[in-house]
Amino acid sequence: MKTKNIFLGCLFASFTLVGSAQEIVLKGKELFGDITARQIGPALMSGRIIDMEVHPTNPQIIYTGTAGGGVWKSSNGGASYSPIFEEHIQSIGQVAIDPNDPDKTVWVGTGEIWTRNSVSVGDGLYRSKDGGVNWDKMGFENSERISGIEIHPENSDVVYVSVLGALWSPSTERGIYKTTDGGTTWKNILYVDENTGAADFMMDPNNPDVLYAAMWEHRRTGWDFNSGGNGSALYKSTDGGATWNKIHNGFPEGILGRIGIAVAPSDSNRVYAVIESEKDKGLYRSNDAGATWELTNSDFALTVRPFYFSRIVVDPKNPDVVVKGGLSGSISKDGGETFVPLGNMHSDIHDIVFDINNSDMMHVGTDGGVYRSWNQGTTMEIVSNLPLSQFYHISVDDAEPYRIYGGLQDNGSWYGPSSSPGGVEARDWVRVGVGDGFRVLKHPTKEILYSEMQGADNVWRYDMERNYTKNVKPLPVTGYDDLRFNWNAPMAVSTHQPDRFYMGSQYLHVSDNMGDTWRIISPDLTTNDPAKQPTKSGGLSNDTSGAEKHTTIFTIAESPLDEKVIWVGTDDGNVQITKDGGKNWTNVTANISGLPATTWVYHIEASVHGKGTAYAVFDGHARGDMKPYVYKTKDYGATWTSIVTDDIPIFARNIQEDYVNEDLLFLGAENGLYITVNGGKNWSHFTNNFPHTAVHFLDLQKKTNDLVAGTHGRGVIIIDDISTLREVTQDVLAKNVHFFDTKKGTMVEEGGFGGGSTELEFVGPNPGTALQLKYYLQKRHTFGKMSLEIQDMEGNEITTLTPGKSKGINIVRWDYNTKAPKNAAGKTLSFGAFQPMRAKAGTYKAVLTKGKDTYETTFEIQNDPKSFITAKEREAQHATSQKLFDIQEDLAYMVYKMDEMIQTGEKAIAADAKAKKVAQPLIDELNALKNTLVITSGDNYVDSAPPQLREKLGQLYSDVAANYEAPSQAQLENLSLLSDRYAKAEADLEKILSKRLSKFTKYIEKTDTLAMELKSKEDFLK
Amino acid sequence: MKTIKLLIAVVLIAVAIPTQAQTADEIIANYFENTGGEEAWGKLEGLQINAVVNQGMEIPVTIIEMKDGRQMIKINLQGQEITQLAFDGDVAWTTNFQSMKSEKVDSETLENFKILSGKTFPSPFLNYKDKGFTVELLGEEIIDGTNTYKVEVTMDPVKADGEMVDNKVTYYFETENFVPIQTASEIQAGPAKGQISKDTYSDYTEVDGLYFAFARTVFGGQALEIKSIVVNPEVTDEMFAFPVQE
Repeated sequence: MKTKNIFLGCLFASFTLVGSAQEIVLKGKELFGDITARQIGPALMSGRIIDMEVHPTNPQIIYTGTAGGGVWKSSNGGASYSPIFEEHIQSIGQVAIDPNDPDKTVWVGTGEIWTRNSVSVGDGLYRSKDGGVNWDKMGFENSERISGIEIHPENSDVVYVSVLGALWSPSTERGIYKTTDGGTTWKNILYVDENTGAADFMMDPNNPDVLYAAMWEHRRTGWDFNSGGNGSALYKSTDGGATWNKIHNGFPEGILGRIGIAVAPSDSNRVYAVIESEKDKGLYRSNDAGATWELTNSDFALTVRPFYFSRIVVDPKNPDVVVKGGLSGSISKDGGETFVPLGNMHSDIHDIVFDINNSDMMHVGTDGGVYRSWNQGTTMEIVSNLPLSQFYHISVDDAEPYRIYGGLQDNGSWYGPSSSPGGVEARDWVRVGVGDGFRVLKHPTKEILYSEMQGADNVWRYDMERNYTKNVKPLPVTGYDDLRFNWNAPMAVSTHQPDRFYMGSQYLHVSDNMGDTWRIISPDLTTNDPAKQPTKSGGLSNDTSGAEKHTTIFTIAESPLDEKVIWVGTDDGNVQITKDGGKNWTNVTANISGLPATTWVYHIEASVHGKGTAYAVFDGHARGDMKPYVYKTKDYGATWTSIVTDDIPIFARNIQEDYVNEDLLFLGAENGLYITVNGGKNWSHFTNNFPHTAVHFLDLQKKTNDLVAGTHGRGVIIIDDISTLREVTQDVLAKNVHFFDTKKGTMVEEGGFGGGSTELEFVGPNPGTALQLKYYLQKRHTFGKMSLEIQDMEGNEITTLTPGKSKGINIVRWDYNTKAPKNAAGKTLSFGAFQPMRAKAGTYKAVLTKGKDTYETTFEIQNDPKSFITAKEREAQHATSQKLFDIQEDLAYMVYKMDEMIQTGEKAIAADAKAKKVAQPLIDELNALKNTLVITSGDNYVDSAPPQLREKLGQLYSDVAANYEAPSQAQLENLSLLSDRYAKAEADLEKILSKRLSKFTKYIEKTDTLAMELKSKEDFLK
Repeated sequence: MKTIKLLIAVVLIAVAIPTQAQTADEIIANYFENTGGEEAWGKLEGLQINAVVNQGMEIPVTIIEMKDGRQMIKINLQGQEITQLAFDGDVAWTTNFQSMKSEKVDSETLENFKILSGKTFPSPFLNYKDKGFTVELLGEEIIDGTNTYKVEVTMDPVKADGEMVDNKVTYYFETENFVPIQTASEIQAGPAKGQISKDTYSDYTEVDGLYFAFARTVFGGQALEIKSIVVNPEVTDEMFAFPVQE
C-alpha cells in the first residue's frame, strides 16, 4: 500500500511541474475558504410557504416546503424549525415522507406550485435516506414545478410524482410519473399536452391503487396569465395508474381551470374537489369516491384566485371537517356546506396540516410564514424563527452601523440595522410601507426614504425622524399617455443632487425636490407593443391585479461619474441611454449580440470605473428562457461583451461591481450568488452559509465593503468585507502562504446589554468588532504543527490564536484580549479573574508558524474614534488594571507556596507522627492566613462563602479591566485598601515563616522523601 | 514529441487516479496504513491527551480514553481539577459548576455510553465489521477547500428522547492523504436536535508510530490544542469512578 502512495506522490509532483505555467483557477469553496455569509433575516414577517407535511407516526416531526427558502424541519412539534435543504435550489413544490420509513426517507419536489408572477423555479426531484442530512437527485431536471409525490404505503419502490411543469412555456415533462424501482426509472403514466400539467395529485389513503390527478392547462407570460382550457380535467385511476378516466359526473359545464382535490382519510368515498370553471365554480363533494359530484359551496373564499389557493385538506379523523386555503383560509365542519374563516394571521393561506393525534392542532402555511393553532384554526400563532422573507430589492445607506432597506413580497417595506446589540432581532426592523413592498431608497443626506407598493399605487416619501409619510407618486399629465408602472416599479436617487429622485413608468420621471414636483424627461422608452398590454388577465378567473403590467421601465441607473448620463432598461427588452440628462435618448439594444430580442432588462449597473461603462443583466425566464445574460459596455452601449460562462447554470437578475477592482463582480442568480475575480472569465458559486436561494438584488456598502444580498426567500444575507477578494491575483494564488492586508482593528467601546428576543425567535448574528487576520493557504494544512501568535513589535508574545487550516482564504479573529491573570487556587472560582487584559492601541505582528516556516504580517489596532475618553484616562485604566493583574498573580504565587508547605507538612505528619510538633503549628497558621486570602469553603452559588482577598481583587480587577475609562475614586480607594491588605498578608506570611519555617525545613531536610521543591515565580506563572 | 506525449499521459493518469472510484474499505485501509498501520492501532490500550482550550486564558484539559470504554475529561481552572465527564463502564458523571459536586448523568445518556462503550476507540472504523458497524462511501465533497471522501459510519443505535435512533457519523477523508479532516453528525436530542455538529482535525503528528490530529475541535467546534499525547497511559480506577461525596 505504501508503495502505491509513493507512486502517487511522484505523479502529483510531475503534474505540478507541468501545470505551474498555467493560470491557477480556484472555484467556490477552494477559493472562499472561511469567508462566510451572515444571514440576518428578518423573520418577523417570514415568507411564503408552499407545502406542509407531518410525520405519519411522530407528531414532533413536521416539514415545511417554502417558496424560495428551502425545506425546514421541526423536531419539536412545530415550536421551531431548522433548514435541511441548503445545498439545493430553494423553491419547493412538495415534500413527502415515506410511510414505510418515515424517520429517514423524505422526498422533495422542487419548484413552487402557487404560480404567482414572482415565483421561483425548481430543478427536479430529490430524496434523502437519512431524514434530510444528505440528498440525492432523482431526476426531473426539466420539470420546473413538482406538485405531488405519493409513496406506496407497503412498497417504497413504488412512487408517483406529479409534475405541474413549466409555467412560462410549453414543455413535455408534465403529468403523472411512476417508478417501481425506487426512482431509478420513471414512466410517464398520464400526460395531456405540453400546456397542461398535474396541479394536484392524491393517492387514496386506504387503497394505494386508487389515484386522483387534477390536470391544469395554464400559461403565464410577462404580461398575461391564463388559467383554464380543454386540457384541464380531473382523472381517476383504480389500477395504480395503468388506466385513467375523467370523473366529471356532476361537474360544471364548459372548460375547467385549476382543480384541487382531497380524499378524506377516514372515509375513502368522501372526496372533495375545488373547481375553477366558467360557471358554478366552487367546492364539489362526492360521497362515492368521485363517481358523482355535487356543488356544496361557491362563496368568495372558496373560489378566489384558484392559481394561488387550491389546497383543500380533510381532517384525518372526521370526513366532514374540511379546510381550504384562500385569502384568509376557511374551515367547514359540515362536509363543505358552509365555511367560516380561519383566525387572524397573515393573509394568503397555501397549506394546512392537522396534528396526527389531535385534530384541534393545526399548522398553517401562509404568504407570511407558518402559524400554529390549538383550537382548530380559531387562534393562530406565528412561528418566529423562519427567516423566509422575500425581498424584491435591497439598498443600504451610510449610517454606522449601516441600515438595510427593502421591500417584500406581500409583506410591505422595511429597514433594519446591519448589526444591533445582542444581534439583529425582530424589534430592530421598522415598517415603511404596506402591501407588496419593492424598492426602498434612502435619501443620500437626509433621514428621508422613498418606498412604494405594487404598481406604484403609492410612492411614499417617509420622514424617518418624524414618522411622517407623504404620497409623492407621479401622476398622468396632459400631453402624455396614461402611465404604465411595473408591478415592481423602478426608482432611483441621484448621487450628484441629493434631492433628485427618479421614477420610471414608460417614461422617465424626475423630481428635484424629493417628489413634490415631477418632470417627464423621456419619450416612451419601451416598445409600447399593444400585444403586451392586455386589459384583462387571469383566464377563467379574472385576476387583474396589475401584476402583469408590461412594456414598462424596470431599471434606472444614473452614472455615478456624470449626472447627465442616465441608463434605462425596460421589461420588454430596451436598453436606452441619454448623455445629456434626458434631452436625447439612444436605444442601444441592437448592439448586444447573442441576446434574444425583447428580453427583460432586469438591471443596469452604471460603473464607477468609467462614464461609458455599464453592466446589463437580462432575464428571459418569463418566457421560458432560463439562460443567464450579462453584458458589459465601456463605450456607452455602442459595443457589449458577454461576461457569463457555463459556471452559471441559470438565469440571473442583478449584478454589483466592486468600487475598487473592476474585475471583481457579484452576480445574483436564481440559485444564489456568483462571484468573479477576473472580470467574468470564470465565476464561482458562493455557498458558505449562503443557501441556493434566488438573489434578486445586491448592494455594496462603501465604508465596510459588505456585500448585501436581498434574497427572495431567505431575507438579507451579508458577506462582511469583501475587500480581500480584491487582492486575489495569480501572484497570490501561486504562494504557499499569503497574508492579505489587515484592516485596522477598532476596539469599539460598548457596554450595553441588548437582546430582548425570546428563545424561539430568530436573531441574526452581528459581524463582530474583532480584528480579522486573513491569509491564503495554497494547500489545506493537515500534517505537522501550525500555530498563530500575536506579538508586539519586539517579538514578545501577546496571545495565541487558533489558526484556520483551509485551502483558500482563512479568517482568524482577535478580540484584542491578551491574557487573564493566573489566580490563586481556592475552593471556588474567582469569576472576576477570568477577565483578560485588553491590548493597547498600536502596531502588532501576527506570526504564523507552519512546520519550519514562519510568515508574518503587521497590523494596527486603535481605540474607538468615537470615544470621549482621553489618552491620560486610558493610561490610568491600563496602569490600574495592570497593577491589579500583578497583585493577583503575586497572591497566586503566595498561595501556591503556602499550599506546597501545607502539603509537605501534612505529608511529613502522615509519614511520621513525630513531625507534628514542627509541622502542625506551621500548617495551622498558614491555613488560618490562607482562609483570609481565598475562599476555602462553600460553593459557587447558594452556599457561597464570603469573598476573601482573591475574590475582592478579582472583582475590582474585572470592573476596571473590562471598562475603558479611568478607574473611579471608589475603585482607587478600594485598590488602596486591598493593596494594604495584600501587603499585610505578605508581612503575616513572613512572620509565620520566620517563626516556624526554619525548624520545619531542618526537619524535612533530614528526610529524603520530603523534599519541597518550590517553583520559581516565573515558572509558576507559565 | 514522444516525450511530451508520454508526459501528458503520465499527467493524465495522475489526475485520474485520485478521483478514481475508491471503496469505503479502501479509504479506511489507506487511512490506517498512512497513520501507523491497522495492527498498531489495534494494539492501543488507551490514550491520554493533554491539551489546552484558549478562552482568554489557557485552560488545561486532560482527556483519557481507554480501550475498554472508560473515559474521562478533566479541566484545571484556577488550580482546581474539575472532572467534566467521566465514565467507568457502569456510571457516567459530571461536575456541577454551581455546587462543584459530582452528579450522575441522566439514564438515557448513561445507556448510550454503555451501548458504545469501547466500540469507538481508537476509531469506529477499526474492525468495524466485528463491531457490527457499517460504512458507506457517500461521495466526494470539498471541505476546508480541499477534496475529501465522504464516508459514513453507522454505529449501534442510541437512545434519544426515549426512542432508539440511528447513530451515524460522516468522516471526510482528505483524498490526498486519506486522513479525516472533518466529522459531522446529526444532534439527536436537546434544543439543537436535528442540527449538524461538526468537528475538524489537523496538525497530524506522530506519537510512537501513530499519527494523531494535534489540533482539533470537540463538542461541535471547541478548539483543542493538544500539547502531548501519552500512548497507553497509566490509569487508576479512581480516575473514572464516581467520587464519594463529602
